[in-house]
Amino acid sequence: MNLRYSFNLPFLLLIALLSVLFGSELSPARQWQLLQGAEPQVFADFAFYYANLPRLAMALVVGAGLGLVGSLLQQLTQNPLLSPMTLGTSSGVWLALVVLNVWLPGLSGSYAVVAAMLGAGVSMALVLLIVGWRNLSGLPIVLAGMAVNILLGAIATAIILLHEQYANNLFIWGAGDLSQHDWDWFIWLLPRMLPALVIVAVAPRVLALLRLGQQGAQGRGLNLAPMFLLLMLCGLWIVASAITAVGAIGFIGLIAPNIARLLGARSPRSELLHSAIFGALLLLVTDMLARGLSLLTIDTVHTGTATALIGAPLLLLLTRRNLRSEDRLSIELPQGAARLTRLTKTLLPIICLGLLALSLGSGFNAGSWQLQWPSEFSFSLRWPRILAALSAGAALATAGTVLQRLIYNPLASPDILGLSAGATLMLVGSSVLFGVSIYEHGPLLAFVGSMLVLVLLLVLGRRHNYAPSMLILCGIALTALIEALVQFALARGTQSIYEILGWLAGSTYRVQPSDALFLFVLSLVLVTVALLCSKSLTLLSAGRQFAQARGLSVNARFVVLLVLVALLCAIVTAYLGPIAFIGLLAPHMAVLLGARQAGQQIAVAASCGACLLVLADYLGWVLFYPTQVAAGTLVSVIGGLYFITLLIRGQRSN
Amino acid sequence: MLKRCVMVALLALSQAAWAQFYVQDSLGRQTLDKRPERVIALSWELAEQVLELDVVPLAISDIPGYSEWVRQPAMPEQVIDLGTRAEPNLERIAELKPDVIFASLGQRHLIPALSQIAPVLYYSTYQAGHDNVQAAIDNYRRIAHVLGQSELAERKLSAMEQRIAALSAELTRAFPAGKPLAVSLRFANPTAAWVYGKNSIPEYVLERLGFEPALDSRASQWGISQQKVLQLARVEQGLVLYFEPFYYQAEMDRSRLWQAMPFVKQGRIAPVAPTWSYGGAMSILYNAEALAATLFALAPQVQPEPEVAP
Repeated sequence: MNLRYSFNLPFLLLIALLSVLFGSELSPARQWQLLQGAEPQVFADFAFYYANLPRLAMALVVGAGLGLVGSLLQQLTQNPLLSPMTLGTSSGVWLALVVLNVWLPGLSGSYAVVAAMLGAGVSMALVLLIVGWRNLSGLPIVLAGMAVNILLGAIATAIILLHEQYANNLFIWGAGDLSQHDWDWFIWLLPRMLPALVIVAVAPRVLALLRLGQQGAQGRGLNLAPMFLLLMLCGLWIVASAITAVGAIGFIGLIAPNIARLLGARSPRSELLHSAIFGALLLLVTDMLARGLSLLTIDTVHTGTATALIGAPLLLLLTRRNLRSEDRLSIELPQGAARLTRLTKTLLPIICLGLLALSLGSGFNAGSWQLQWPSEFSFSLRWPRILAALSAGAALATAGTVLQRLIYNPLASPDILGLSAGATLMLVGSSVLFGVSIYEHGPLLAFVGSMLVLVLLLVLGRRHNYAPSMLILCGIALTALIEALVQFALARGTQSIYEILGWLAGSTYRVQPSDALFLFVLSLVLVTVALLCSKSLTLLSAGRQFAQARGLSVNARFVVLLVLVALLCAIVTAYLGPIAFIGLLAPHMAVLLGARQAGQQIAVAASCGACLLVLADYLGWVLFYPTQVAAGTLVSVIGGLYFITLLIRGQRSN
Repeated sequence: MLKRCVMVALLALSQAAWAQFYVQDSLGRQTLDKRPERVIALSWELAEQVLELDVVPLAISDIPGYSEWVRQPAMPEQVIDLGTRAEPNLERIAELKPDVIFASLGQRHLIPALSQIAPVLYYSTYQAGHDNVQAAIDNYRRIAHVLGQSELAERKLSAMEQRIAALSAELTRAFPAGKPLAVSLRFANPTAAWVYGKNSIPEYVLERLGFEPALDSRASQWGISQQKVLQLARVEQGLVLYFEPFYYQAEMDRSRLWQAMPFVKQGRIAPVAPTWSYGGAMSILYNAEALAATLFALAPQVQPEPEVAP
């Protein structure tokens, strides 16, 4: 089947026409007059000419731009999951705008554009630096994008939480808003979209050659690297301009190319152009949906929210066909010790105990910190926090170790893959939609959310022979949905949002003694189970066929271990909120220390994870005393930085 | 001997009863051992209520934020900072040995922990399904009773009533042809705004000043809803009052859609000095003063030209 422009171009025009006709209260005749240049007279005329039309024009241009760039990125890297959104661009812009609004609010009106472009540039450079030019085709770039997303997002959330009121004005940008009040933005954006012409002119040839493989292309006397760089820069420039103008609108660039391919776009040029058309169409439709939804709710629903609502399920539907079951990563962990030394074995418990003593015994007295036995009241406040941090750290580290071995991916982390996202989505959703306080039924709702995601993963996984990339897809879709919901809640501008943000930061502040004990016992049980499963984990991580040949029923074991991971994440998220990166970091630390066998790695990772979270909790407590920073935030920052240096170092050594 | 013991016990009991007194908070009747002197307020509106009773709180949450956003009344320098409103530092609270802790909706879930430090009184001001303005005033009276400042509270409340009535009367003179409708809001950016509706202090104040709402609204917890600026065109006859700060003024002024808004064309729009919208009882007065100042400034612009006698 070959896709024809004669089919979708008229369709796009028809939808655009409908959107104009029904978007305005004016008669079609009057609209036609205004289009031909009649002078606007009543306000409805002005609204049509200076709000509806520019909004339509923006939707078309932005949608087409995002679709085109999405297709370009996906073809350049031969990676159907790549898009501006998965590259972490919008979180870079978000952080830049938060910084500007909090520290220089007076400049936010005039310099927002500069800051946004800067943020986009830096975050994209970061992602590209992490993965490097050679690794663009696989999952690493998606994971790196997610990691940069989490890192920058965590920093932005921390800033917002410490300066609650300041960022209020930003929240509409975060929700992605196509509303226009003149042609200004369109006029600003249009010339910045010109690199699209370069893409359309140059890319098809380069892409066609790329399909032959890099060596084949070089054989024809074409050095692809400069072309590649040029196209990439053009694409990123377009994306940065678009999101600066309309805010965070995800998914378009991810989905449009997939639709185009599904409907039969084959040649590079046809895929590029059809993706642009579908991008415009998709944004137009979701924008209409957003406007429709706004009529139903008390608050405005922004385009970005609607895009995520449509985009997340579409993403799962469209891309799951292209999944391969063992998508290996080319990134290697840094070489660590060959085995656990006796020194490590003795030092680790000592460090653990030292940290416990430090966080239990530090006291702030007359302007300085001292080590002392805590008062009875301090002790009653501190032990639940410390015990919870300890258990959660160990639980997440175990979950991470199991997951990384399970899906053959040293970059996998339960939080990146959406296992804790289910809990978050459930809590934020119930708070936003039904006004339930996030602390009221927190643990129960979080648990239900995690289990729902688990069921989804198992159902989808069965159809696809438990392909690892399924998990990653779910993670992307759920994370984007959560972001959209959070941004919707933020844009409402009420004071309750800080409760949600506070919970999202992942804090031990509200853990009750009974919660801490419960968490401790559950973690202990689940970690023990994980240790008992370590033999099958070793077999599995040697390869599925190998494990099968050794008589292991691979799929059954996969399900058991996945359930274990989900349970671990669920209990932690239920009590502490989403905590990122521990599941990624701790297993790596274990390998670095020389724990190479599955069982050893779990044990060492669990201790490292526990130490890390206790340390983060302690730092969050003392760093800005009396203001407390959530342990989850600090872990995200520490973990994110480690992750990025790790990846960049791996990149260098290649 | 037994008799003496009974006597002592009775005396002790009666003294306890003498020192104890009953107070009201949003959860019902509470008992305090003595009149509290060392007071901690964990939310801004409660900190404001306490200050407006001429009592300086020992410590409050997020003083930099309070000074930036609430502004009135100014927080004295000796007040100690407790960290964020959502997660105040419990250990520091305990070190300060307060007599009473005032908590609000955002700290509701901390009450069990806080009660281990000192008696906690819970005052809910901004909540869906009740009257926020009435709650602000009721809570002011209840807190005044706790702090033994009831007389001052009544004096300030009636002064506020008088002042609002006086402002309303002056405004009646400033708008001889009748007071128009009005709506107040805060711009988020040139295309979106948070509009104050039912259950918000600004709308209540405008009504008290004699300006009926120019836009319909549903009551909500914070009394605001987010709207597109485009929808403000529904304000056909009324005044539009927007709270400062607004950082996109220049961009807004250039917008031709904005210039075409009926209320912009006819000059029925004006800025209001920065004022906190989620405060306690006295913030009603501050809102009234700020809104009235803007209304006085607008009055000459929006009056129909006096007809020249033939």
